[in-house]
Amino acid sequence: MNKVLKKIFTFAIVFGIIITLIPKGNAEDLVNQETTDPIIQEAVENVRFYSSFNYQTLTTDKLNKLTTDFYLPTSYEDIQITYIVDSLYLELSQIPETISIRVGTDFQTIEVLKVTVIDLPNVLKGEQLFNIYATYSYDTTSYTHAYQGYITPVIPNDFLGGSLYTLVRYGKMFLEGAGLTIGISLVGTIIGFILSLFLATAKLITITPQDRKMSKAVKIFFNKLSSTYITVFRGTPMIVQASFFWYGFGLFGNALLCGLFVVSLNTAAYIAEIIRGAVGAIDKGQTEAGLSVGLNYSQTMLFIVFPQAIKNSMPAIGNEFVINIKDTAVLSVIGIFELFNQTKKITSLHYRQLEAYAIVALIYLVLTYSTTSALKLVEKKMGMKPLELTSSN
Amino acid sequence: MSILKINNLHKNYGSEEVLKGINLKINKGEIVSIIGSSGSGKSTLLRCINYLEMPTYGDILFRGENMFISQKQIQALRTKVTMVFQSFNLFDNFNVLENLMLSPRKVLKISKDLLKEKALNTLDLVGMKDFYLKYPKHLSGGQKQRVAIARALMMDPEVILFDEPTSALDPEMVGEVLDTMKTLASTGITMLIVTHEMSFAKELSDRVIFMNEGIVYEEGTPDQVFLNSKLPRTKEFLKRVTH
Repeated sequence: MNKVLKKIFTFAIVFGIIITLIPKGNAEDLVNQETTDPIIQEAVENVRFYSSFNYQTLTTDKLNKLTTDFYLPTSYEDIQITYIVDSLYLELSQIPETISIRVGTDFQTIEVLKVTVIDLPNVLKGEQLFNIYATYSYDTTSYTHAYQGYITPVIPNDFLGGSLYTLVRYGKMFLEGAGLTIGISLVGTIIGFILSLFLATAKLITITPQDRKMSKAVKIFFNKLSSTYITVFRGTPMIVQASFFWYGFGLFGNALLCGLFVVSLNTAAYIAEIIRGAVGAIDKGQTEAGLSVGLNYSQTMLFIVFPQAIKNSMPAIGNEFVINIKDTAVLSVIGIFELFNQTKKITSLHYRQLEAYAIVALIYLVLTYSTTSALKLVEKKMGMKPLELTSSN
Repeated sequence: MSILKINNLHKNYGSEEVLKGINLKINKGEIVSIIGSSGSGKSTLLRCINYLEMPTYGDILFRGENMFISQKQIQALRTKVTMVFQSFNLFDNFNVLENLMLSPRKVLKISKDLLKEKALNTLDLVGMKDFYLKYPKHLSGGQKQRVAIARALMMDPEVILFDEPTSALDPEMVGEVLDTMKTLASTGITMLIVTHEMSFAKELSDRVIFMNEGIVYEEGTPDQVFLNSKLPRTKEFLKRVTH
């Protein structure tokens, strides 16, 4: 079972790399010669192509994502227009027909030539460039204008084809999201770890009989502050924290920074508890030995207890990182385009939810599984007991 | 003048009284063994002397001075009265050399180069010089305890407290630690030893203290306590441990 999973993951990773390397059609911009004839100039400005879908006007944007048949008008006022279509995927009909298009509130019947899409490129081939050369002529004047567009693959109806299409066509978006997810999780875990050291220290403060009133009050203050912080951040969902700081305060004026802030604060609370537990698990003899050779309490903590406790907590802290990879999905709520939000964006392009969410689930699985494996390897090298992945917080 | 003087020392854990008024005098250079059955308060007494346990009542005078005033003074006392533990308690995250050098470096602020030489000499004294780069987890119990003794010596203490230094050791390792302690005794340092090694106590000590139920029940020279004791609890205890 494990072997099969590994094969799937390796395949997924290799596939991810390949799709980013697939060349995208890049068009050399056609430079049309300017015509000096004002009549033809007017014609070039006003002639439109019409899609077979509701006879919509094909704007430049739509020409660049062409998937359906379309019509080319044969004349504009007195000017005759002839066409040459340069593409393996398109076929220009020689027989004129008439269509009725809407002009303002009226309908107008015009004579057109139909261009049929005889074949669609598959997704691995990607979008295909086509050129249409239109020759405008009246009396003895003629001028040829070139139009350019792309024939774009269409998402297949079946699940596998749809998945492949989604993965290849939007692979880059998935990768961007995955990168952001890993980035936020990693940086958030590191910042959280640093913060957690202060929190754990504050929570571990003990009051000794030798303390004066002032230092006693300060100690109690920090102790309570840390306890409250940990209780609040562990006791509220991260989605609420994120919304509170972003929609409530617009913190940093940047959703990404605000999200990073929330993840760091949240992680700090969890890691603080991990470290506190680990400090408690260090043999009391270590502290006593430190004290008995003349170190003070802080020195004992700093040089002896904390280094050991942190080393022992490393597996659990790594686990927090893995949990963060999954939990940063809630940052989609404040408009950060991490992996989950990217997926939502992708689903809205074709309304094909199943394929996109199946892919993103697989990507999350690859991320967490490979991170866990890597951490296990490191822990094994450092001679620590690996920790199994626990459920999400 | 006595180096340590303990006046009417009491220690309570909640309502349970573990030490019920201890009076003791330890002279400079003296080697004193404390014996007694488990729960008699031997270890608690030792731990109170360098304030790992806070006494409930009573005074501990070091060179005639009460050090239980501020955290600073307690720390100063601990550099003069160091402790060797039953479970060694070497710092697991440091190697042998670093274990020895940590406290002098941080507390006495002595430079690393000076310390290294001193540490190696001290390790030589306990026969552990070759192991100075090893980590505690790679040492046997006896080796760990010898390193722990060397660590206690690094602050140039005037008194070393031994809290059952051989109790956690395999029988074949007891000898090496006792030998190290004998070497140490010949240097003239003051030693206070809680032990179950009766023959060792008899051989090495200048004075033996028998504790029973939180009080000093009997004290005297080894011969007085081990051979000629007249008191019933002492006789009963010795009969049990020597047979």
